[in-house]
Amino acid sequence: MAQVHQRTLLALGFCLAIAAVFFFGYRAGHTARHVRWQEEAIQPWMSVPFIAHTRHTPEKPLFEAIHVQPDRHDRRPIRDIARAGNVPVAELIRDLEQAIAKASGPGSGSVSPPGKTISPQDQSGR
Amino acid sequence: MSEQILAALARYGFPALFAVVTVASIGIPLPVTLLLIVTGSLAAQGVLNIWGAIAVAALGSIAGDQIGYAIGRWGGKALAARLTGLLGKGDRLRQMEAGANKLGGSGIFLSRWLVTPLGPWINFASGIAGYSWLRFIFWDVAGELLDAVLYICVGYAFSDRVQQAAEVMGNLAWAFVGIAIAAFLGWKLFGKKLSTTRLRVEEPAR
Repeated sequence: MAQVHQRTLLALGFCLAIAAVFFFGYRAGHTARHVRWQEEAIQPWMSVPFIAHTRHTPEKPLFEAIHVQPDRHDRRPIRDIARAGNVPVAELIRDLEQAIAKASGPGSGSVSPPGKTISPQDQSGR
Repeated sequence: MSEQILAALARYGFPALFAVVTVASIGIPLPVTLLLIVTGSLAAQGVLNIWGAIAVAALGSIAGDQIGYAIGRWGGKALAARLTGLLGKGDRLRQMEAGANKLGGSGIFLSRWLVTPLGPWINFASGIAGYSWLRFIFWDVAGELLDAVLYICVGYAFSDRVQQAAEVMGNLAWAFVGIAIAAFLGWKLFGKKLSTTRLRVEEPAR
């Protein structure tokens, strides 16, 4: 009886492990398929030069948008910049998104609008 | 937590990287996959030196693994022996030691870079099982170097897509953990049954 109980538990564990393989495999595949076509979301730990790199935008307009002296060696996370300026970090993120949108607007030839999912056709020119 | 860790990496560079990977290798759940990928991205941006980053990440992980092994060997073994003795299953510890010595090398190596969530447990189990320290450090160094090179190079290659790259790598690591567990449970369920059937078939021929 105990052996049957043990085998049932093993079989249940086996099924759960297989389900986990499919679940995480699907999630990995889904993200990988979209990795090139989605913009990186701005996070409070990112510095302005880091954001500029991930969004393919010059650093200067981003620094200017949050009223910070442009300095490519300024590696402070925007969370710290917000704290120093006594401004909510969400507000800084919004200002940066607007600056990126402006920099990538018509005629700038830079990047797609912030947060917008762009198609592979849009990216093919890169 | 991950926000503070990544902010520290962006600000302090190598010392923050070393501290975080060491602590994570001991078994504290920290977002090391994302950290290593962001490190690769910072290297691609010219903020960190890529060879230095690989060396620091590997050294930090090895240091944490050694601490985990030492806890298992000098703290955990006495505790495990007492527990197994109390339960009247003292031979379990000897079985565990034999198992660790038989499969230890590949288990240690793969848990460094492929099934990374199991890494701290393998360190602790290797220490408890009394797995040879020289062999442990050999497989540990090989695996951790591969892990640092793999994740930092992914970050370097996808320097503008760090969060998505980390998500893919994290999901893949858990999928491989699932495969390892399914293989182990499958062997327990069907492997023993198959070998018993084979023995029964072979017996009449003798």
